[in-house]
Amino acid sequence: MNRSDATRQVLWNIEHVWVMYALLVPTTLIAAYGVYRRVRQWRKGQSENRFDRPVERLRLVVAYALLQLRTWRRAYPGVFHAMLFWGFVILFIATCVVLIDYDFGIPIMRGEFYLIFQSLIVDIFGVLAIVGVLMAAARRFITRPKYLVYTTESAVILLLVFAILVTGFLVEGWRIAATDDPWGAWSPFGNLVANASRPLMTVEAMTSAHWATWWFHLFLVFGFLAWAPYTKMLHVLASTANIYTARLAPIGATLRKVDFDSEEALGIHTLAGFTWKDLLDFDACTECGRCTAVCPANRVDKLLSPRDIILDLQRLARDPVGDFAEPFLGKTDALSAEAFWECTTCAACVEACPVSIEQFPKIVDARRYLVMEEAEFPDTMQQALTSLETRGHPMRGTSFSRVDWMQGLDVPTVADVKDADVLVWVGCGGALVERNQSVVRALVQLLKAAGVKFAVLGREEKCNGDPARRIGNEFLFEQLAQENIATLEKHKVKTIVTSCPHCFNTFANEYPQFGGRFEVFHHSQYLAKLVDEGKLAGKSPLGQRVTFHDPCYLGRHNGEYDAPRQLVQISTKNAPVEMQQTRSNSFCCGGGGGMSFVDEPPDKRVNQERARQVLETVADVVAVGCPFCMTMLEDGINATKGDREVRVMDVAELLWQTVEPAPPDS
Amino acid sequence: MNLVVCIKQILDPEIPARDFRVDAAARVAERGGANLVMNIFCENALESALQCREANEGKITALSVGTDEAEDVLRKALALKVDEAILVSGGESSNPDPAFVAKTLAAAVRKIGEYDVVLVGREAGDWGAGQTGGLLAEELGVPCVSFAESIEPGGSDGTVQVKRQTDNGWELLEVATPLVVTITNHDKNVPRIPKTRDVMQSYRKPLTKWTLDELDVDPSSANDYYEVAELSIPQKETKCEFIEGDTLEDKIGAFAKRLGDVIRSI
Repeated sequence: MNRSDATRQVLWNIEHVWVMYALLVPTTLIAAYGVYRRVRQWRKGQSENRFDRPVERLRLVVAYALLQLRTWRRAYPGVFHAMLFWGFVILFIATCVVLIDYDFGIPIMRGEFYLIFQSLIVDIFGVLAIVGVLMAAARRFITRPKYLVYTTESAVILLLVFAILVTGFLVEGWRIAATDDPWGAWSPFGNLVANASRPLMTVEAMTSAHWATWWFHLFLVFGFLAWAPYTKMLHVLASTANIYTARLAPIGATLRKVDFDSEEALGIHTLAGFTWKDLLDFDACTECGRCTAVCPANRVDKLLSPRDIILDLQRLARDPVGDFAEPFLGKTDALSAEAFWECTTCAACVEACPVSIEQFPKIVDARRYLVMEEAEFPDTMQQALTSLETRGHPMRGTSFSRVDWMQGLDVPTVADVKDADVLVWVGCGGALVERNQSVVRALVQLLKAAGVKFAVLGREEKCNGDPARRIGNEFLFEQLAQENIATLEKHKVKTIVTSCPHCFNTFANEYPQFGGRFEVFHHSQYLAKLVDEGKLAGKSPLGQRVTFHDPCYLGRHNGEYDAPRQLVQISTKNAPVEMQQTRSNSFCCGGGGGMSFVDEPPDKRVNQERARQVLETVADVVAVGCPFCMTMLEDGINATKGDREVRVMDVAELLWQTVEPAPPDS
Repeated sequence: MNLVVCIKQILDPEIPARDFRVDAAARVAERGGANLVMNIFCENALESALQCREANEGKITALSVGTDEAEDVLRKALALKVDEAILVSGGESSNPDPAFVAKTLAAAVRKIGEYDVVLVGREAGDWGAGQTGGLLAEELGVPCVSFAESIEPGGSDGTVQVKRQTDNGWELLEVATPLVVTITNHDKNVPRIPKTRDVMQSYRKPLTKWTLDELDVDPSSANDYYEVAELSIPQKETKCEFIEGDTLEDKIGAFAKRLGDVIRSI
């Protein structure tokens, strides 16, 4: 036998093949209609441009649709999803090979290629897909994690996929046995079926079983194809489209401007308010539940569940008698105002989503409606915004002014120094909350030690508007943004160093929407730069074990994880001790999105949950890079620490401890 | 029911204590970097008026005496959907003479014409005299009910029911209109915040401006009865002394004597 002659007879034992081709027509039509229905729906959305920069978008598709890099972040489902995905990709290619060989009459299913790919590789991937289905089933029916959605549809899909794969192997095995296929051994798992069947069945029995199973397999496959666009299997198309049209800017730049001249409602409270991309988001959801699993509010048993926000909106959008103009607010628990007011805008949901759904911006859209059209929102948030309106800062009741923190430090203001290279943006948290004043003091002393020519705005500084935007008062945010941009331009500011990631994010990602373009550094980035340039050096390492808590608006929103760790490294000569949840998977302190102004129920406090994670490490110090994290974690640790002593310190304070010149007499 | 709510703009009372300065020579508080805000009891009065209108038909006119900057508090009232806003300008921003302010307000109320109730805040957060309501009633020649927490239409035509706080509890009064009511704060009249759309629209609404001349009020009559003689921020001092003595009795004796000296010196 010559290996170059190796092949098999396509459609052995099958007559009336035209039935298959005939069935392909309704199958395609039903599937196409299923897709068309969805596309028609997406087109009902408001306009939004998500087709710029096609090369970057294709790169996203390769990374997240093809290689599924985000799906891999959870090992177990990552493994079985890859087995299923690649299993079906290879099986689909194998079907195409048959199509080319048999239908197009181009004999490619021959020789080595037939043996190695069409037989061996296809067999292996088929089995991997079966293992994948079994692993998925084990999770769905045995371990049953809380974040998953349990529907009959999902169970039926698994069963169907399993049946398709198993019948495929039965058909192959019985063909090998009945035809005494000399190349059978190249299909090891089909051959297994063949060898198992030989002693049990006659050739006639195997031939009949092959015939019946082949047709059954065909019905299952065609049925699955036709049904898929009506199920969550639509994600194969919708998720890919969603990944292609994903946001290209950092997460921190996701929130949209509001058109205040429009007659339509401010914010979003009906499906009609969403863009086509939002509607696509709903359909792209695969019900994997990762967003809810990582949601800090959900972790402490609050009502908020980003997964259910998306799925409930999907259900409403698909309701055949539903009305796009009908308010969705309050229709379900997930869509209730209570849930929307629990979001810290930490973006853990967005980061976790394998298919690039943007969950938290929809929450902010709903908040905008509640704040601007209904004026219905938590009292303490109202007080923060009222203070922001009248006093330019949200820290109601502070006993400090903007300049108290600089006492005794001789800090230059823009009024004194006209040619400063850098503007230090102190922020309300830095200036008006006592604990954070020492952070800003450490920062300016480090800048002085490094010989940086800097200045501060002093009394001219106002909140950048972050709390207003995230609480939902876009009107106030716009006013503040315009005032601040005017102030910064008046003083010809080019470079800003902020001591708060929220200020950093607003300047870097949001002010450009209003024409304010500045070079912006978070203080950890600027200090790390000074260290790199040799302008700052840690002298005596601190003998403390330090863990670092990633601020959401520095990490997830802006992708900066290394600079603050570098400062920890310089200060202690050791890399930080990492918490279980760290970097892009970090867990919010609970203070973002205006939540630091809200009194959470004592048994549902996000900051205490994070504090427990800090206490699980061996660290003596938890380093932070954000004034909100500072106060949230201090409170959380004080409430949960027991006998442990863990200090909360900003990375600038850590660095200053090692850089600070020793007192002269020591 | 026709309601007139008097609104005063004052220096933000929540500025940090160490930022607060007074100009002793001019006998006024320094503005510094602080903002001007609506006096909190005026916010309560406005809220009470809004609730009264929601429960019954009626019209609310917001009235302020102040500088042109006081337009801001009237815009806020417009954002909360008062029907009309009138600014009497030409006076000082925080004229401490309640008699003069009352006279000006009374002239404006008379010019407005028909009214059932004039609501004013119990006192202002700047000078805290708490006189304007009573003096306004006097000027208008109508009754005044002070420290009210709510008003509602009364049992018969031309009356209102006013619930007022007293040292021992509350009183429910049925009063013939027109009258002046001074409003105090209560859980029921926590000021609401405006909807953004209404804030945006408030800038497009008409705002009537009257001058003291138009009202025939003589600005030189200010401070006829009332004058700020001196203005200063109280200084807090803390001193610590240890009483010496050989025995406990000695110490107690010395302590009692010293205490007596201190009390006499105050």
